[in-house]
Amino acid sequence: MMWLTWRQFRAQAITAAAALAAFAIVLVLTESRMASMYDSSGLLTCHGGACSGLATTFLVQLSSGQGVSFIPFGANVYVIVYFLSVLVILVAPAITGIFWGAPLIARELETGTFRLTWNQSITRTRWLTVKLALIGLAAMAVTEAFSLLQAWWAAPIGKAVGLGGGASIFSEGRFGWFVFPTHGITPLGYAAFAFALGVTAGLIIRRPIPAMAATLAIFAAFQAIVPLWIRPNLFPTSQTTATIAASGANVSLGANPALTLTASIVPGQPGAWIISSEGVNAAGQRVSTIPAACQSAISDGLGSHRGTTVGPDPVALNNCVARHGIRVAEGYQPASHYWPLQLAETGFYLALALALAWYCFWRLNRRRS
Amino acid sequence: MTAAIETEALGKRYRTKWALAGCTLFIPAGHVVGLVGPNGAGKTTLLNLATGELAPTTGTIEVLGNRPAAGPAQLARVGYLAQDAPLYAGLPVADHLRLGAHLNPGWDADLAHRRVERLDLDPKQKAGTLSGGQRAQLALTLAVAKRPELLVLDEPVASLDPLARREFLQDLMESVAEQEVSVVLSSHLISDLERACDYVIVLVDSRVRVAGPVDDLLAAHHLLSGPRRDPASLPAGMEVVSASHTDVQTTLLVRTSGPVLDPAWTVSEVGLEDLMLAYMKQPATRRHHLEVLK
Repeated sequence: MMWLTWRQFRAQAITAAAALAAFAIVLVLTESRMASMYDSSGLLTCHGGACSGLATTFLVQLSSGQGVSFIPFGANVYVIVYFLSVLVILVAPAITGIFWGAPLIARELETGTFRLTWNQSITRTRWLTVKLALIGLAAMAVTEAFSLLQAWWAAPIGKAVGLGGGASIFSEGRFGWFVFPTHGITPLGYAAFAFALGVTAGLIIRRPIPAMAATLAIFAAFQAIVPLWIRPNLFPTSQTTATIAASGANVSLGANPALTLTASIVPGQPGAWIISSEGVNAAGQRVSTIPAACQSAISDGLGSHRGTTVGPDPVALNNCVARHGIRVAEGYQPASHYWPLQLAETGFYLALALALAWYCFWRLNRRRS
Repeated sequence: MTAAIETEALGKRYRTKWALAGCTLFIPAGHVVGLVGPNGAGKTTLLNLATGELAPTTGTIEVLGNRPAAGPAQLARVGYLAQDAPLYAGLPVADHLRLGAHLNPGWDADLAHRRVERLDLDPKQKAGTLSGGQRAQLALTLAVAKRPELLVLDEPVASLDPLARREFLQDLMESVAEQEVSVVLSSHLISDLERACDYVIVLVDSRVRVAGPVDDLLAAHHLLSGPRRDPASLPAGMEVVSASHTDVQTTLLVRTSGPVLDPAWTVSEVGLEDLMLAYMKQPATRRHHLEVLK
């Protein structure tokens, strides 16, 4: 059975190996330059507060292309490689789910070859076990290999962000929308789930192309729903209240005069994942509208630009709201929750994958009863 | 005598339509059994039940004394050549043999290679580019070389031209003779079966119409012709399979265990093809009517 699995999977395996090799070559070719930029940035020897400034300088240098000779399409090579590699890791599970998972049973059903294979001296359970194990593990390994290569390549960026570097397109923390799902162990969970999803869709729909479409749609839906509603709630969020200045919050004007705050720092919790931030008064009650005094300041500010859509001065608005005793209540996951969250999300996806696999075994044997 | 296939009130329903109903059969081992019936009669359903691809809705089926496809050992005892001879279009002939060798502990590599050589198949040629006859032969090679006790073939020659059909059946008969394997073979082409089979089952409208060894069936059926008369006036023990009347003459195909004694009838023997056609043409309701009469 191993032989047949390998024989039928050979072409896909070679394609995956070629993709992995191309990915590795691009990263290796661009890594050394970035590493030397990091070495000469002073970040290796800095102490305390000096580091965040140096880190920011390094990140800005990377993202703006200073000192970089190769600048295609108006963006520099590090920005392109960074986002392309992130994209590859994000879509790799979907690709393996669509092209390896969905046709696995559907193609056998469509071409009738299941009648050939399932009538050899081997049970369907054994057939599916070997197929799921070998190809499923290959899908997980390929995705994780992409992730590990990218993590190695992007290590200087991660270190600079960890040292407080900001104000660049790279400055997403470890909990960021692009960083969290492309690093650690989460890619393993996505790959296993997408593959099992593809196999299941193929078994139910019985035709490869519609099964591929269904796999893509459902996997994309999960990748949207999980970060928005499930990941933030895997553990209870911690709460703290900070001044507007300390939380690095920006006050913005929602539907006038609603108060909207976006915090970027949890004081004393470097690297925390901020999930919610809202304005509270001295008594700790929620403030949802901008104080009247600040509203008039806004109107005054707008007055000088009558007839245009220029917004209020953000600094003045921040200061005004802060003067009125409004603080920021933040809900967050501390940095120490990174690995527990990784484990929980990966476990969630692996459990889904196992449930789907179990269903496939059950359904494949059901007709035999 | 052991049964190749034994069924008891076997039925299979797809949603609301019964593809097979009330099928009680005892197919002894050691025969080449022809399963005949018009398209849609339930032949493939019966064979798929025998290979374990389908589960029965009602009744039971045992193949070589066991539940179909109960485990690897049972799977090894039954060779199956499915309709249209499914093969992996992208895999060459040699890889199909390798597939058989890897998935069957009882694989007879010598037999497989001898057959492929004799059939003049190029081991490097992809199965997708083989002709219909070659495909059927390769699929039969896979089914035969696993050394099964029972070989089940679903419409193996339906898509072949007359020459390839004859060659395939001849080759099948040689394999059967060499290996002492029981065979169940379905077809809607009666003439194919006449050459190959020593046991027939006629399946019409999802029911078994008649089943038995060819010689016994031929001995028990007679074609009677004589002056026009009502078939109901025949003596007990004679079952009318088909009847045709002209103004003055009546021709009957009857099944009887004893000799025909009435001198008014001219008795002649009936060929297998005519016999099976008579059963296939017989409307289902007529049968019940006759049973009431008996």
